[in-house]
Amino acid sequence: MKEKTRRINRLWSVVMFFVSVLYMYPIFMVLMNSLKVESAISTSTAFELPTAETFAGFANYENAINAQGFLSSFFYTAFITITSVLAILFFCSMFAWYITRVETKVTKALYLLCAFSMVVPFQMVMFTLSSMADTLNLDTPWVLWVIYLGFGAGLAVFMFCGFMRSVPVDIEEASMIDGSSPLQTYFHIVIPLLRPTMVSVAILEAMWIWNDYLLPTLILDINKYRTISMLIQFFRGSYGRVEMGPMMACIMLAILPIIIVYLVGQKHIIKGVVAGAVKG
Amino acid sequence: MAEVSLRHIEKVYPNTEKKKKGEKKSNLKVTEEGVLAVQDFNLDIKDREFVVLVGPSGCGKSTTLRMVAGLEEITRGELYIDGKLMNDAAPKDRDIAMVFQSYALYPHMTVRGNMEYPLKLKKMPKEEMNQRVEQAAEILGITQYLDRKPKALSGGQRQRVAIGRAIVREPKVLLMDEPLSNLDAKLRNQMRAEIIKLRERIDTTFIYVTHDQTEAMTLGDRIVIMKDGVIQQVGTPQEVFDHPANLFVAGFIGVPQMNFYDAELIRDGSGSYTVQVENVHIVPSEEKQARLRQNGVESQSITLGVRPEHITLLGEGENMLHGAVEVTEMMGSAVHLHVNFGGRDTIIIAQTMSLEGRNPVHFGGGNPISFTFGGNVIHMFSKKDERNLEA
Repeated sequence: MKEKTRRINRLWSVVMFFVSVLYMYPIFMVLMNSLKVESAISTSTAFELPTAETFAGFANYENAINAQGFLSSFFYTAFITITSVLAILFFCSMFAWYITRVETKVTKALYLLCAFSMVVPFQMVMFTLSSMADTLNLDTPWVLWVIYLGFGAGLAVFMFCGFMRSVPVDIEEASMIDGSSPLQTYFHIVIPLLRPTMVSVAILEAMWIWNDYLLPTLILDINKYRTISMLIQFFRGSYGRVEMGPMMACIMLAILPIIIVYLVGQKHIIKGVVAGAVKG
Repeated sequence: MAEVSLRHIEKVYPNTEKKKKGEKKSNLKVTEEGVLAVQDFNLDIKDREFVVLVGPSGCGKSTTLRMVAGLEEITRGELYIDGKLMNDAAPKDRDIAMVFQSYALYPHMTVRGNMEYPLKLKKMPKEEMNQRVEQAAEILGITQYLDRKPKALSGGQRQRVAIGRAIVREPKVLLMDEPLSNLDAKLRNQMRAEIIKLRERIDTTFIYVTHDQTEAMTLGDRIVIMKDGVIQQVGTPQEVFDHPANLFVAGFIGVPQMNFYDAELIRDGSGSYTVQVENVHIVPSEEKQARLRQNGVESQSITLGVRPEHITLLGEGENMLHGAVEVTEMMGSAVHLHVNFGGRDTIIIAQTMSLEGRNPVHFGGGNPISFTFGGNVIHMFSKKDERNLEA
């Protein structure tokens, strides 16, 4: 029996190895091409490794950073990501705490509304949203977090609620008896308890917001503010010419921070997703 | 330390399901308003008194405690702590502390952090805070664990920390909600003794909730026995053991539980009472006769109650009840005999040791046995309303 299980596990490992290669290969291809000279990047040579003649070193990276306002785009993307993630964490955790602990028809309806918001595709609301953002002057990076808060709330509330349900209410009651106000209970007790879920929500939301292309393109003034995802499409010269080398380098630079964030926090993602699923 | 008064306290949970008025769920009364979890609860707890609320699951004891704590709203009635009406006061303004069944320690804080937390909220100076924490830790024997997190402690140690967190505040009232339920039997006995010692060392009023009658009997100055949201009896452990107010209390207090028999109470022309069980006649003691006369009790069918330890085993003779041993449980110092008498299980405690030495107690399954009990140890309950006819 054990031998059979072991064999099945081995087979799964092989299958999953090939799946992970499939996932990793595009990133590897981008990395490979970002290190080639411009002339060596063409449809026929895209899959080739750089050779001594085609290796460009970090020239493409230098071009990407120096040209097209990469640094300001990086700053805008970081600013939007950080403010949005902080807003999502703060408001959604507090909201989830409330609707988990105070069970009324209204709070149940609010929870369902949040869960429902996850299945509404962005494309369905994007035009009304962009016109509304325009009317409310939400079309700058400084306040874009408001819109991301709305879109990120569904997943965040869903995850926070799942975790909160596994936390015994006794702990909060003990805090209230010890002399805490509800806000003190939230900051001193609830937030530390929610930390693993907060990390996973933060990583998932950060990955989405950092890489998001459509929402900032529709909302922001494209001539003034460009996020990294928006910037990448500007590596095109006239007559449809694309600067493939710097573009590949820019893609690598764009995904690097989020890969680091993910690697640092990946164990918390697993903890956060599993938390609440089992009694412990 | 403070006096606590509960006057006509009631708790109603609004109906969540469609139920008809008068319909019962879990034996709790259901009205149009909702389920009555606690009904007309009246109790005056004296300063420094240790009161235990005891009863089976769902009897409303924890709900009552939570109303005192301010964790549940009081539907009707008045709660006074130290003479002040506290119905609408927030938990933090009641000057109470509570120990939970689940310990409810803050998992991200160390033991010291847990114990300091209520004092920090009071903005107590650091020195005094340290002194209080260390003093409480010493009382509870947890000084060496002050820098550990709760997850690194055993169940008993966690419960000590929970008690420590409660006592550092020197609250007026200390509430304990089944604090020993999560501990194993040995540790429970140990902690029970610790609580008795603790009680001597700190000046506070205790309200303790448990479903374990042994805990109630050993800890409480007074016991409040509850069933279906209603107080059944309030009294000292000895009072409730000797004079149970009704059939429920008689069955709930005492281990093993009291034996019950269908019997006839006969009052003769001279006003003397006799209890007839099967063909055996038992004459209640003079004291009991006087109480029955005082209550004007007439001849009637009754439920007769006798505690297992009050049954005497004898050889063959007159006025004896006869049964057959079904099961024997060796407890060491005594044997619990489960005897089939009139189709019912009767428990008899036979001591294995006496002053003379070891008693020859040999009872096999199916052995016939004869037993009797005196008129001074019987309890007589009305068949109609189950109350004690002497009460």
